Amino acid sequence: MGATTISDVARPSLTKGVRLQIDSTTGKSVLLYPEGIVELNETAHEILSRCDGRTLGEVICELAEEYEADSAALAADVRESLADLQQRKLIEFK
Amino acid sequence: MTMPRPYALLAEITYRCPLHCPYCSNPVAAPPGEAPRRPQADGYSNGELTTEEWKRVIREASALGVLQIGFSGGEPLARRDLAELIHAAREAKLYTNLITSGIGLDDDGVRVLHDAGLDSIQLSFQSDESSAADEIAGARAHERKLDVAAKIRAAGIPLSLNFVIHRRNIDRLPQMIDLAEALGAERVELANVQFYGWAFRNRAALLPTREQVDRARGIATAAKTRLAGKIEIFYVLPDYYETRPKPCLNGWGQRYLTVNPIGDVLPCPTASSAIPDLRFENVRASDLDWIWRKSESFNRFRGTEWMPEPCQSCPQREIDFGGCRCQAALLTGNAALTDPVCEFSPNRAIVEAVLRNTNSSSDHAGDWRYRQNPKPELAAV
Repeated sequence: MGATTISDVARPSLTKGVRLQIDSTTGKSVLLYPEGIVELNETAHEILSRCDGRTLGEVICELAEEYEADSAALAADVRESLADLQQRKLIEFK
Repeated sequence: MTMPRPYALLAEITYRCPLHCPYCSNPVAAPPGEAPRRPQADGYSNGELTTEEWKRVIREASALGVLQIGFSGGEPLARRDLAELIHAAREAKLYTNLITSGIGLDDDGVRVLHDAGLDSIQLSFQSDESSAADEIAGARAHERKLDVAAKIRAAGIPLSLNFVIHRRNIDRLPQMIDLAEALGAERVELANVQFYGWAFRNRAALLPTREQVDRARGIATAAKTRLAGKIEIFYVLPDYYETRPKPCLNGWGQRYLTVNPIGDVLPCPTASSAIPDLRFENVRASDLDWIWRKSESFNRFRGTEWMPEPCQSCPQREIDFGGCRCQAALLTGNAALTDPVCEFSPNRAIVEAVLRNTNSSSDHAGDWRYRQNPKPELAAV
């Protein structure tokens, strides 16, 4: 699934076995999964900490409000980040 | 050089194992470590760390920056306190992975580990069907593993399968991949055997031919594409057939540490048997933080200063880190030389001779010796 085809009503969530955690050494957010660790940039952290059953549309709205950003531009960024994480099987859509 | 921090701890909690795989990377004999071997109050009378000692190691590892722990062995299920250790690791916020043969894991066992907070399981298989698999394991294990895989799936624990690939099973690669698919694994590791421990001793029987390796590479590559998005396939290269060495550990003392059953702390799991002249520290005598930062064993090959030529002036030196120290030691007798797998190593001829031998005697590769459980000497009681 390409970044642009992710539906607004899809609900992103961490794949089973993937954990979002703060790395106490760096204070940064990381994803932990079987035999792997990914350090998240701030954008990915802000997105993933909201992936708790909300729809993609809701996540985008909330981020746009919080950062007073243009929601169309932001939507493209969010979709791209999520598509990348989905490709690596770290998140899935329900 | 800023001091790196470790990300992952391999906790080898016991040497005991019901399987006898001839490619095991465990030491071929009990390590001569200086750890006390007196019987412990909780019954670990063979020199193994006690439950409380492991819990301390786990806390120290977490404080040092470790984020992941792999419980391994031997067979970690042989320790009755495994669930307790997993729980301790979760309390220390570590991601917990169990690396197991599955032997001894029943429904209750799976539930107990799951309740303790186990994050994922890596289950080993020796081949895709009983007769070949059990022949390799030196034990009746395959059918039980199939059963265990189903139990793990039923409990909802993420499952990785691990196949060690060698001369006698490499031609079954397609069937192994089918098995991983049928068992619903999220991830499968097709790991060409690396030659340490028992595998080094049994190399002549285990090293595949060039023809086998070429075919396997094509099969693994095609399966990766076919199963993309469904199963993640990791293919570990047969490094003797490569021209550049593997980036072993991403550099010595950079990301990983191993604590073995008697508490020795190793930069690499095979270092204690491969590099006999390196003295390793023990968690009973020193804390993990000091061992990681200050000990001679962790600093000996850290960074690039130790490197000889051709590594020292090589543009690849911070990509492959000179390859594997254990392999250099096993093949040349000197851990501080370029990994002989490298085409620029003055010792590449050693690897070439091994390959020539394997590829000229195609009909009979010889027998292997099965791994025996080491019997650490017991101090007089």
